[in-house]
Amino acid sequence: MNYAIETNGLSKFYGDVFAVNKVNLRVKRGEIYSFLGLNGAGKTTTIRALLGMIRPSEGNVKVLGQALGPGGRGPWARVGHLVESPCAYPDLSVRENLDIARRLHGIRNPKVVDDVMNKLTIASYSNRKAGTLSSGNFQRLGLARALLHNPELLILDEPSNALDPAGIVEIRELLISLAREHETTIFMSSHILTEVNLLADRIGIIHEGSLIEELDAARLEELRSQRLVIDTRDLSKAREALASFEVTTLADGRLATNDPRAIASPELIATLLVNAGAPPIHLAIEQENLEEYFLRLTESNNE
Amino acid sequence: MNNFLSALWIETLKMRRSKVPLFTAIGFSIAPLVGGLLMIILKDPEAARSMGLISTKAQMLAGVADWPTYFNVLAQAVAVGGAILFAIITIWVFGREFSDRTAKELLALPTSRETIISAKFVVIAVWTFVLSLFIFGLGLVVGKLVVIPGWSMGLLQTSFVDVLGTALLVIAMLPIVAFAASIGRGYMPPFGWTIFTVVMAQVAVITGWGDWFPWSVPALFSGAIGPRAEQLGIHSYVIVILFSIIGLVATYYWWRNADQTR
Repeated sequence: MNYAIETNGLSKFYGDVFAVNKVNLRVKRGEIYSFLGLNGAGKTTTIRALLGMIRPSEGNVKVLGQALGPGGRGPWARVGHLVESPCAYPDLSVRENLDIARRLHGIRNPKVVDDVMNKLTIASYSNRKAGTLSSGNFQRLGLARALLHNPELLILDEPSNALDPAGIVEIRELLISLAREHETTIFMSSHILTEVNLLADRIGIIHEGSLIEELDAARLEELRSQRLVIDTRDLSKAREALASFEVTTLADGRLATNDPRAIASPELIATLLVNAGAPPIHLAIEQENLEEYFLRLTESNNE
Repeated sequence: MNNFLSALWIETLKMRRSKVPLFTAIGFSIAPLVGGLLMIILKDPEAARSMGLISTKAQMLAGVADWPTYFNVLAQAVAVGGAILFAIITIWVFGREFSDRTAKELLALPTSRETIISAKFVVIAVWTFVLSLFIFGLGLVVGKLVVIPGWSMGLLQTSFVDVLGTALLVIAMLPIVAFAASIGRGYMPPFGWTIFTVVMAQVAVITGWGDWFPWSVPALFSGAIGPRAEQLGIHSYVIVILFSIIGLVATYYWWRNADQTR
């Protein structure tokens, strides 16, 4: 299969320290792949290796079917990127910064600059010096540079950083439309797990340099654990009534159980509570969110 | 070729939008202006003394008030002032990419890193050479205004070679500064390196090894301590060219192969 991104045993170490350890990534064309990890997990090092900015200590990288060559040579005319925080020449205007990117990409038509400014809603700042932009608009400028040449593959490090809630929604919709309508492959790292939840087709979780989990978004739904959350006016009676179940007390005082019998038949729990004189005032099955799943996974890897 | 012209256009745009060309031109203009002032003092020491100017010191620095002396002052200013000002230009062209964190935007592009670095070197070479021409031209204007004796067309030609030759030798040493700005990833390490080489150039001249020390060669060429034929040999020029090539190769190699983690 011809992947948009393929790494084989990608490792990067500095002395004895492994920044990235034998990472095997397979990103299919047209999918949105989210790359999750704590600070220092190896996300940015991996992204830099994908862009030929650092040389792997071991392993290799293929981007859009092409192995990266010496001097960071690769299919960069077809790849857009935003690495770590966005950057721009502060004493040049937004338009000039984008015009620089246009020329470096060898695009003759200057209209692409106007098009991408309109797409990222920064046209009204076109003559403003980049150094005077708000952090949100600076982020949009970085994204505009990545999108300028209509790339087949977008590699984005924290694309929603510094954006306000409306901006986050706007960029999310833009990325979804690029992937769904233009079959652009998107490889993005993010700390905003709700964003990942809403965007990603597949998720890779990197921890201490190793890829510890790689799964489809649908599979993630299955893996996220469920629990039954219970609240009554008499919690001690409720505990007695549910003695045959493994019940824990949540931080807010409510009770919760992961027992499959309770999750499969919450009405059974309701009956037990009513018969014990502690009728439920709240009884709901809750699914672990991505944040909790992510933390559970990384913590279990630490143990 | 198109990629190179684009890269050249980009580097020129960055330069035009910056205040560095203006500041370096103003800074360098001090050389002919101070040279002119020295000539005024030397032409009429008594009048200068009555105006509070120190004529003895001027005599020690320059000599007598004539065009050969004035051109010699200009050439020396290019040798020493150029070593610092041209280095600042080079440090700005390369170091700003790290200070503005834009270096990472120059790496994964259809335009090769070598093309971008070549454009930077061309801009530095043209910028510093034009600055040297400007100083020579300004020097002529100041000299004419001050009315210095001893003018001749022959002197103009030899002095042009002295001043611009000195400038070219200073420019030839700039790739090492570019390399220092690249590996130092910013402004301070190459600036420290520049100060170090300026000081060491003085030490090399004092200890009699200036002809073997590439950073001393421009000052010796300018005639700072005597006719250059007595001070320099072919080996001196070979060493300058050698260090220039080493600087170029090292800079290209670094941009091509070093891990870019900023």
